[in-house]
Amino acid sequence: MAFGISVTIMFVILHLMPGDYITLYLEGIYVIAPPEVVLAYNQAYGLDRPLIDQYFSYFLGVLQGDWGYSLSYSRPVLDVISEKLVWTLVILLPATILSIIAGIAIGAYSGWRRGSKADVTLLNGMIFLRAIPSYWLALMILLVFAFYLDLFPLGGYVSLSALDTGIDLLDVMNHAALPIFTLFFFSVTGTYYLMRNSMLMTAGEDYIVTARAKGLDDMTILRQHALKNAMLPMVTRVALQCAGMLTGSIFVETIFSWPGIGMLTFEALQVRDLPLLQGILLMDTLIVIVANIGADMIYPFVDPRVEVGSDARA
Amino acid sequence: MPGRNAALYLSLGVVLVYCAVALFAPVIAPFDPFVISGPPLAPPDAAHLLGTNDLAQDIFSRLIWGTRATLILGFLGAVVSVVMGTTVGIVAGYYGGRIDEAVMRFLDVMMTIPFFPLLLVLTIFLRPGIYVTAVIMGLLGGLGSVRIIRSQVLSLAVADFVVGTKALGARDGYIMARHILPNVLPLVGVKFVTSAQHFMLVGIGLGFLGMGDPNVVDWGQMIERASKNGGIVLGLWWWLIPPGLAVTGISLALAWFAYACEERINPRFQVMRV
Repeated sequence: MAFGISVTIMFVILHLMPGDYITLYLEGIYVIAPPEVVLAYNQAYGLDRPLIDQYFSYFLGVLQGDWGYSLSYSRPVLDVISEKLVWTLVILLPATILSIIAGIAIGAYSGWRRGSKADVTLLNGMIFLRAIPSYWLALMILLVFAFYLDLFPLGGYVSLSALDTGIDLLDVMNHAALPIFTLFFFSVTGTYYLMRNSMLMTAGEDYIVTARAKGLDDMTILRQHALKNAMLPMVTRVALQCAGMLTGSIFVETIFSWPGIGMLTFEALQVRDLPLLQGILLMDTLIVIVANIGADMIYPFVDPRVEVGSDARA
Repeated sequence: MPGRNAALYLSLGVVLVYCAVALFAPVIAPFDPFVISGPPLAPPDAAHLLGTNDLAQDIFSRLIWGTRATLILGFLGAVVSVVMGTTVGIVAGYYGGRIDEAVMRFLDVMMTIPFFPLLLVLTIFLRPGIYVTAVIMGLLGGLGSVRIIRSQVLSLAVADFVVGTKALGARDGYIMARHILPNVLPLVGVKFVTSAQHFMLVGIGLGFLGMGDPNVVDWGQMIERASKNGGIVLGLWWWLIPPGLAVTGISLALAWFAYACEERINPRFQVMRV
């Protein structure tokens, strides 16, 4: 449903724009495109049909997996994207999971010890880290760890030796380390902030005071009472952060030459491959929607007070 | 706490320095940023404080001029975003009902489309100059502020003083401008600063991806040029590092400023929320 609306909006946006694919594409070939060529291309791509027609064929096409044809790859867009998607997930998933775990742990501690030296230091550090642009961070990490210290490869996803020996898992991990590390830094600050705020709210609740009155020791209250409740809002928020991670991956993958969706985006930008770019945007939207639906599904398990289908979720 | 105040003034000072540099760029910069000013790829010396790039343009001058683009992107974008967010947020939150419902459903849908990839597609199509880019970013980024402002207004709209004013026969426009707006203003202020920071990073990111306005010097395009044309491989740090440091500096200052402001206005918020 939501996806359907997004597809529609995408179509509307792309057709409201001045200029179109064909003009843009032919610009790469001709200085001034002859009108008959423009006409032929328009016919070939069905752009001369009524708008409503185009809309339905586009919509049906998207549902059937026909996302258009990449101009630069000369292959169906969906093919190209799904091939790259795997590689994006290879760095995106570990980075996300690590940053959630670390963000929750550090954020919970920081929020629990509000105002303490540890909290202030952590908070300042996180503000600092968050203000550094991701592309800059990636470049510096690349420069320091790969160029000067020579600990990791400068880019790519396998060494040249893979041509003889095939793809080796260790080799891939070695290449993936820096991108994962960068993405982790990029997203951990967000999780940390949310968790700290959530913990600040929870720490003021009555049941925490009660637990204290029972004489439980500090860490037990944190683990048994505060942590679980403070984590609840995190489920939906982490899903919302997904879009940010996708943006981060564009820069990180480009800088580390990691062959995922992010670098594909960059390549598509360089050659102005619009169908491909549109497909990527669609895929990004799809990922965000799936993450949100996932969060909605998981939520009742984490918080039994909420049932799926009831309108109670805020 | 004195430390908090120091952070506030220090960060404000840094932002003002950036503004001054942007204003007086023609005076400060020793060279025209586009002109050939010496041998290409020269290391730093007395004439070229940060050396020259591959086109023999003075890097220091480009850095100075680049401040303008960054501030325009950030602040113009933030103005658009905050004005839209506040107006729509107040109207939706104040009237509630169908208007609110319509606005929120529209937002729900728009928010599923990731901001940055959408911005990239729009940039490719429209090939905007720097001002249009800022406005587009503002409009797209303002969607989030609508939500935040609206939720604040929702509780204000049923607050006693608003209901009281209404009972006195005040018009809706008057209430929104005189009673609701001043109460969300601190929130709007913080949102303005954080949006400005965000848009600066995004705008420079666009430049870095090669989507910048080629008629303008911006730090993103400088980093892109440096990393593409041998800055990394040759280890030319004076080419690669200064623009990034400059972005990080302003971004940090704004982040600190927003944080310090938030701390200050927070107590009032908590009182009002009751």
